[in-house]
Amino acid sequence: MAYPGYGAPGGGFPGMPPQQQDPLYGFFSQVAGQDGQISADELQRCLTQSGMSGSYQPFSMESCRLMINMLDRDMSGTMGFAEFKDLCQALNGWKATFSSFDRDHSGTVEGHELQQAITTMGYNLSPQAMNCIMKRYSNHGKIPFDEFVSCCVRLRALTDQFRRRDTAHSGNASFQYDDFIQVTMSV
Amino acid sequence: MAYHSPYRAPPQINAPPDQSFLWNIFQRVDKDRSGVISDSELQQALSNGTWTPFNPVTVRSIISMFDRENKGGVNFNEFAGVWKYITDWQNIFRTYDRDNSGFIDRNELKQALTGFGYRLSDQFYGTLIEKFDRQRKGQVAFDDFIQCCIVLQRLTDVFRRYDTDQDGWIQVSYEQYLSMVFNVV
Repeated sequence: MAYPGYGAPGGGFPGMPPQQQDPLYGFFSQVAGQDGQISADELQRCLTQSGMSGSYQPFSMESCRLMINMLDRDMSGTMGFAEFKDLCQALNGWKATFSSFDRDHSGTVEGHELQQAITTMGYNLSPQAMNCIMKRYSNHGKIPFDEFVSCCVRLRALTDQFRRRDTAHSGNASFQYDDFIQVTMSV
Repeated sequence: MAYHSPYRAPPQINAPPDQSFLWNIFQRVDKDRSGVISDSELQQALSNGTWTPFNPVTVRSIISMFDRENKGGVNFNEFAGVWKYITDWQNIFRTYDRDNSGFIDRNELKQALTGFGYRLSDQFYGTLIEKFDRQRKGQVAFDDFIQCCIVLQRLTDVFRRYDTDQDGWIQVSYEQYLSMVFNVV
């Protein structure tokens, strides 16, 4: 069955620095308001300032919106610090995978490398599903980092949604129409 | 429910326009006189009311809907369909833009989509606006409204293909699910 792990483990294991001393918290709190939540454009600022995009182009608004949605359980359109940490952990993992394939440091990977990267992350997809993904993300055969992240976020969010409906762990899930529309559109 | 309603294209509202009227428009839009209106020519001819270019993704969707020869544009015959499609959408947009702001806000979007037969949660309308509003106004302009409806329709089409007994439920494998989604959004 195709379910992958997410790579990096969730946050909050013993020995973690308390919130206030966490360097990430500095960046987060600078941008978040009193409510301790950030929206998509604040996330974009936060990720750029904390250097999460590394030497790659800063994340687009579309990608930031996707990232918020990926972790947004209450559909509030915003993200708290705990989710932000989870996101950074996932991003670091994806960045490492991406740069292992972007050997010439061009900031892009090729179609077949995207395929390999997805497999490396634990997704076991058919050639047909892979083709859909490659068609969706490659621009003249090249995929930039930002789009790669967008793809990873979607894969993770969709897998989550699917899993929740595959109660028998059979690899099959049932979707009612209205639910299907909302789930797939919010990813 | 939108799923069982025959909603496909916007409903027929206008009488068909006359040929010379359409031909005049076609010639004006077909700037290079190639006999085919390209994506960029159509984009330049359309207005979304914001003084910014019409959503190119929407332009592409519309052209590909009517381009029967896969040539990357529409000839005069096909253009009649394009004209009608856009005019129908203009009428719908005006109908639901109740405050005449030139934008459809969250409530107006809810009225529109509920009117088309969709049953979506209140919060979801916020998600839709976030997703389609390219002007970052918290409301959708004409082109983004069309884009939203096009994507909803595509998802409905793909769902229908799997719902062979038409009961509003599908059972899909993980693979099928990913392919369905990545093909559309």
